[in-house]
Amino acid sequence: MQEPFRTVASHEAEGGREIAVAVRNVGMDFDGIHAVKNASFDLPKGRFLTILGPSGSGKTTLLRMIAGFQTPSSGEIFINGEAVSAVPPHKRSIGMVFQRLALFPHMTAAENVAFPLKMRRRDARTIPDRVERYLALVRLGGYGGRRIHELSGGQQQRVAIARALVFEPDLLLLDEPLAALDRKLREEMQLEFRRIQRELGVTTINVTHDQREALVVSDDIVVMDQGEIQQKARPIHAYRQPRNAFVANFIGVTNFIAGTVRSISEEGDVSILRGDLVLAGKIGDPVNPPAEGGKASGAIRAEQIRLAGDAAQLSKLDCVLAGTVTDTIFEGERMVYEVACAAIGDEVIRVFDHDPATHTQFEIGESVFLGWNARDMLVFR
Amino acid sequence: MQAARTAYPLKWRIMDALEGVAAAIWPARFRRATPYLMLLPAVLLVGLLVLGLIQIADASLRTLDTTTFQFSDDYSIANFRRALTEPLFLVVARRSLIAALIVTAVTLIFAFPYAYLMVRTASPGLRKFLLIALFLPFFIGQVVRAYGWLIILGNQGMVNEALGLVGVAPMRLIYNYPAVLFGLVQYMLPFAVLMLAPALTAIPEELEAAAGSLGANWVRTFIHVVLPLARPGFIGAGVVVLTLSLTDFAVPAILGGGSQDFVAIAIYDQFFRTSDQGLGATLALMLVALGSILVGIVFALFGAGTLAMGRSRA
Repeated sequence: MQEPFRTVASHEAEGGREIAVAVRNVGMDFDGIHAVKNASFDLPKGRFLTILGPSGSGKTTLLRMIAGFQTPSSGEIFINGEAVSAVPPHKRSIGMVFQRLALFPHMTAAENVAFPLKMRRRDARTIPDRVERYLALVRLGGYGGRRIHELSGGQQQRVAIARALVFEPDLLLLDEPLAALDRKLREEMQLEFRRIQRELGVTTINVTHDQREALVVSDDIVVMDQGEIQQKARPIHAYRQPRNAFVANFIGVTNFIAGTVRSISEEGDVSILRGDLVLAGKIGDPVNPPAEGGKASGAIRAEQIRLAGDAAQLSKLDCVLAGTVTDTIFEGERMVYEVACAAIGDEVIRVFDHDPATHTQFEIGESVFLGWNARDMLVFR
Repeated sequence: MQAARTAYPLKWRIMDALEGVAAAIWPARFRRATPYLMLLPAVLLVGLLVLGLIQIADASLRTLDTTTFQFSDDYSIANFRRALTEPLFLVVARRSLIAALIVTAVTLIFAFPYAYLMVRTASPGLRKFLLIALFLPFFIGQVVRAYGWLIILGNQGMVNEALGLVGVAPMRLIYNYPAVLFGLVQYMLPFAVLMLAPALTAIPEELEAAAGSLGANWVRTFIHVVLPLARPGFIGAGVVVLTLSLTDFAVPAILGGGSQDFVAIAIYDQFFRTSDQGLGATLALMLVALGSILVGIVFALFGAGTLAMGRSRA
């Protein structure tokens, strides 16, 4: 089992850093259902990886296998070059922040943080100092004597982080610990996770269904769906160059227009035909490109579409469609228009208008024009 | 008319009428008294018990004249003096008390793994089996069960026959102290499991996983996480088993075969054999006092556990 990994470790990952976690062809079956299928990825030391996916995508199962609470049905997980499938959780050097935090209610904050040090039989004389240092790191200096139920939700989060980090684990795992928080606190804690992770440089794997969180906190994102890894990329790449329709749809707000492929060029330009309408775009996934004459769909982000009351204002754009506003949704920082376009069978296209102050406001029922550039439309099979 | 009926269905009209009647009988200004009204049946019941206790207290202060079989008209503490000085009663009291303590400890030790498995098992089939096995003994009365043990453990019982097959001479397995303890533990086990299970259910499984990931093996997880968090369940189960064993009648009477009397049997003898209601009442009062002191000590040392309904959780 050691052999295949040495070859992995010998070629160093991007940035020339050592690989902390290597997931190799890992699968997990529950009663014949494939919760995780053939998952593989490398995580270099010190990086923050987020496994992003909807519920039931297998992301938590994958995390639990890395933590050691479940044993893979197939494949192997390597932590610092060692195969860990046979290693129980308490013998792995992994700090985990649980979904419901799992703080010990019968202990104080300091006792919770001291717990992993005591269990790992660290020198008892150094424990109080170290506990205080890590409480300070999570900005809870002086709160050590508090009972868990005397702390606010955000403070409990911080205790859980300190407890997971205090024994300086090789790996930090976050199992959607922020899911239950209100939005304001969640966004604050996201930045807090990022700050602490950068300060300590601890390799981190985070699991979430919140695409915003994934984009904000991570160095890398692994997008999962139906047990399979859909894409592993940096946040900006996952957003701008989604590898397939699922990723394009799951991250951001994306409109899909289905059609048949009319032509494909060497350079990756595709044009698809929808009724009489010809839509130009780029190949989204070079590994799995659409075939000429085959079905395909063009994906266009809501923020890449311009909206105007008259077609002349959009003359510089490659594709312009006429439509009728069916709904306007005010979201504070932006206005979302839903526009039904006759050319694509009255399908609704969603458009963001980020600066309503200087733009014309459109009302429901108003006739408008939509336009976008061909390079912004990604075509997937 | 049709439209009105669908908008305001008959069921609502009936509810309105009932509410009207209720308001006539118990106007809104009496509402503050409603909780006390609900408490009334319980208060009546406890009141009757208190009356009975007063009567017992009265009886305990009257001595029996053995020549006339009449109770004295004046009060004296002679019965209490007898109860505290006569060696028989002291032997019986000590036997009951030690039995209650041993039975409580042993029962809790046996009940915990059972309750833990029942709560934590991933298999619904096993959980159902354990639950049914737990409730089955409740359908068979305590007396029948004790007789069952007589048959199994008797001189010609199954156990001795099985021992005979491997060449062990028949042993006296009943009518002794260990037999009574055994019967009591067997009888108390379901109560203890039932008291422990909710306390264990209240411990999130994630806590045990967390302890594991923080470096604790299962032994240390058990000692540092499960045991302290299950404490309310242990206290609740312990108090129930302690008081039930201390005051038990049938098991020591049947499995003890007259040689292993508990306090409850001594009280029975005073009331129905020697007809000394005074002394019987005295022993009953002292048993109540002993039980109360024991429970008081447990509460003082460990808190009220699950019996505090979560109020004392600090």
